[in-house]
Amino acid sequence: MSSTVKNETLALDVKGLKKTYDSGTKALKGIDLQIKSGQFFGLLGPNGAGKSTLIHTITGLSMPTSGSAKVFGSDVVGDYKTARMYVGLSPQDINLDWFLTVEQTLDFHAGYYGMRKKERRQRIDELLKVFSLTDKKDSRGMFLSGGMKRRMVIARALMHKPEFLILDEPTAGVDVELRRELWKYVKKINEQGTTILLTTHYIEEAEELCDQIAVINAGKILKIGTVAELKKAYKVKTLEDVYLKATGKKVQS
Amino acid sequence: MNSVQWVGFYTLLRRECYRFLSIPRQTVGGPLLETFLYISVFGAALGSRISEIGGVSYVVFIIPGLLLMSMIINCYANNSSSLAQQKMLRSIDDQLASPVSNYSLLAAYTLGGFLRASLIVVIAFATASLMVQLPMANAWIFVSGLVFSGLFFASLGVLAGLIGQTNEQISSYQTFILQPLIFLGGVFYSVALLPEPFKTLTHLDPIFYMINTVRFGMIGHSDVNPYWSLLAIIAFTIAITAVNARLFKRGYKLRT
Repeated sequence: MSSTVKNETLALDVKGLKKTYDSGTKALKGIDLQIKSGQFFGLLGPNGAGKSTLIHTITGLSMPTSGSAKVFGSDVVGDYKTARMYVGLSPQDINLDWFLTVEQTLDFHAGYYGMRKKERRQRIDELLKVFSLTDKKDSRGMFLSGGMKRRMVIARALMHKPEFLILDEPTAGVDVELRRELWKYVKKINEQGTTILLTTHYIEEAEELCDQIAVINAGKILKIGTVAELKKAYKVKTLEDVYLKATGKKVQS
Repeated sequence: MNSVQWVGFYTLLRRECYRFLSIPRQTVGGPLLETFLYISVFGAALGSRISEIGGVSYVVFIIPGLLLMSMIINCYANNSSSLAQQKMLRSIDDQLASPVSNYSLLAAYTLGGFLRASLIVVIAFATASLMVQLPMANAWIFVSGLVFSGLFFASLGVLAGLIGQTNEQISSYQTFILQPLIFLGGVFYSVALLPEPFKTLTHLDPIFYMINTVRFGMIGHSDVNPYWSLLAIIAFTIAITAVNARLFKRGYKLRT
């Protein structure tokens, strides 16, 4: 199912995207999805629905079997160098480099995106401050607490000032306080113009943050709309009921 | 290559160098000590009981092979472990999702190990030349032999890191394939001293040709034609680079 957007800049334009792994698992079964520039878009679905595969395909960590995905008009396969400049990815699993300190992690990441030294220095200081990591800048990533590692991964995703930020389960396993802090920060950068794609299976998170939500299950987009539109479409009173009705799964508390 | 790609490539290379420079005792000190132990034990202790080989003392005869051995092992070990470790931790995803090209990624991983091994070989050579007087029959052949053999094994290390699924698998390639080929390639002896069928079998070992090329460059003695050997090393280096380039472009075992 797709919501066609015309005459507006598309941050993401996915058409007929399919992904079948070597094992034969069909993770994506023809995804059509369009996200307008500046939107805060939520992808809601249970584990194994295809959320991470979709994100991996957009970011180049996975190669699509067929179909296309464009980020601000640049194809993620054919013109990957341009497409990836736009994207910042905060992955679901913490994947920090063991050898690097907090500061080096940010510095090296920025280098991969071609940022010059002076610009990097300024941005590192800014993000360390925003994510309260200044005191830990010389600590190696592996010695940080779980919450700090999560902040670190999000800071890294923001380092090259991406126009399209992908947050894959950013609050999984973090405490309520940090969750609220992160919500506040991502809302702020969205208001400043960054397009955000958030995957979550926390209903309240999707409800709190997203302008539009796509419900995904078994590699297919089941429905796209605002919270109100989804409730109306499924003839239910809460987003939780939408999720339950659409996916047939229990909601994660 | 535009500026983003240059900065990206330079950063990747810097990261690879930082990796081995941040643990110098393990990555540089250990291999250097190993080389000196070989020189001391085989050269000084046994050398006095062995007459000249190829017109030079035994200790001088084995030094080119030891330098090459150090080059080969460090190129291979560095690159295979670096790539495998980043794959296992998935920290490589940060690089794979960046705009840096597949070829820059390959070049940085290949050169990382090559630079580490070159650093060790330069220090080992400088120190060995303080211990014994080293001849230099043909510096170009000596340097080219080391460089291309190093690049070949740096690429082989990348390939092993790409294919290998576990640390145990990767280290077993080194223990059960690479080390025997190096030792049987004639680091410590001339093939002329071997009886049949070992003499013929040694000619099937590619490292035998590398050792003789580097040895010819230093002492002017070789059991085979060093020029043909060098050409073969260059050809194999180009071939394995082409294989790796193809695999990186496909994202083989890197991108799902």
